[in-house]
Amino acid sequence: MSEEALARKLRKAAHLILFQHHRYPGAKGWELRKVVGKDYMKVIKLLKERLSELGLDIKIVSEEGENVESLSEMQLDKARFYIVSKHPLTLSEASLAGWRLDSLAVLAAAIAFIASRHGKAPKKEVEKMLSEKFPEWKVSMELDRFIKRGYLAEDEEGMVYLGWRTKAEVDLKALLENIAGGQVS
Amino acid sequence: MQRLKEFDREQVLRIIVLCQAIRLSGQDPFTVDVKEKLQILRELLPKWKLVEDLLLDSEALKELSEIVKLQGEWVRRRASRMFIDPFLIEAKLKLMDREQLARAFLKAWRPIISTEQLTFRRLKEAYDYWAALPPLSERKHELTTQAEFELKHLDIEELIKMRLLTKEEFEKALDELYEELLARSRGEAIDYWSFVVREGFEESAMRAYMVSFLVSQGRAELFIDPIQEVIYIKPAKAEEKKVGRSVVVAFNYDVWRRELERVKRERGSFS
Repeated sequence: MSEEALARKLRKAAHLILFQHHRYPGAKGWELRKVVGKDYMKVIKLLKERLSELGLDIKIVSEEGENVESLSEMQLDKARFYIVSKHPLTLSEASLAGWRLDSLAVLAAAIAFIASRHGKAPKKEVEKMLSEKFPEWKVSMELDRFIKRGYLAEDEEGMVYLGWRTKAEVDLKALLENIAGGQVS
Repeated sequence: MQRLKEFDREQVLRIIVLCQAIRLSGQDPFTVDVKEKLQILRELLPKWKLVEDLLLDSEALKELSEIVKLQGEWVRRRASRMFIDPFLIEAKLKLMDREQLARAFLKAWRPIISTEQLTFRRLKEAYDYWAALPPLSERKHELTTQAEFELKHLDIEELIKMRLLTKEEFEKALDELYEELLARSRGEAIDYWSFVVREGFEESAMRAYMVSFLVSQGRAELFIDPIQEVIYIKPAKAEEKKVGRSVVVAFNYDVWRRELERVKRERGSFS
């Protein structure tokens, strides 16, 4: 592949992943294959290196929401590719991005609580736990906001789950470790 | 015999309720002794003759299979490195302050970077809208007309503030209107619009406004004939005066013109 052709493919892949063109950000494997070509994983690997210099990374999340490193070709087709921040944000950076300390704390507690209960918990229990630290109106407002943004999901039976965005953005194991103080079995 | 059957049914229902409770609360699915419950279902099966009993049995079986599925997931999760005692997490969450929680989250968080863009389709829609939009000079008349006729709700306090009337004047006008209603209706129900509508729009609006006070004070009553869609007004007798009730009657310039014409037509046909 000529250098020019490779540069064109890199640009196409970066645009496809970076520019939101559906309800959800990122791009699916089959979309990348269609636009970039069969060898799109080689292009992704190269793009990953380039983005790394800018403090960004590419994350591949399977259809089931698992963040797995090795996927088959068929699984890759259905997986979603995201560009994510490579390093953790500082409190001031999060604040600049519009996140309040309270909101981050509510989200952290809700995700950790649900994750420790096999990925789902009754909404009432989550609200009860959060209400011990935050006012009820805030808990209700924040939970609704996180459901809308895809961090959490809820069903008709009043159960709350981890949403697609949490699966893409949050390292659950690291979060639980951070909260439990490293006590992981 | 009947009693025994009821007892058997209750056993199946108990299994269903137990399984549902475990499934919905996210509790340890191993608290259900699946083997024992299956044994119960097996023993009861030959006794079922009715379809509804068999359906109950199959529902219980379905719930037990869900529990087995949950047990599988439970084992997988416990065996993985992700397992942390939920009670430990809950206790830690209670101990940590807001900043500690936020910092713990930030360490594990890698937000998605994406940017919204204007698609070609949206751009074309915007262009089509712009191309079809008449110039402001043509729309100005339409916009000012809309603004002029914007409906506003003024209450008595606002009218008094605007010095359009005083409280005493308003009370006097209300009494006069009530007297007029008594005289015209002679205690019977009469057409609301023929009572309210006058030659001038402002006067009619004022009468409609004052009638609403008479109704809310319980001095007059409004009835709506749902079939003919006619509104009637009737003075409430002194001994019947009670707390007023709300009836919604729309009143604006178009309604006034329409009702004035109707009232005139009806008066003309009588004379």
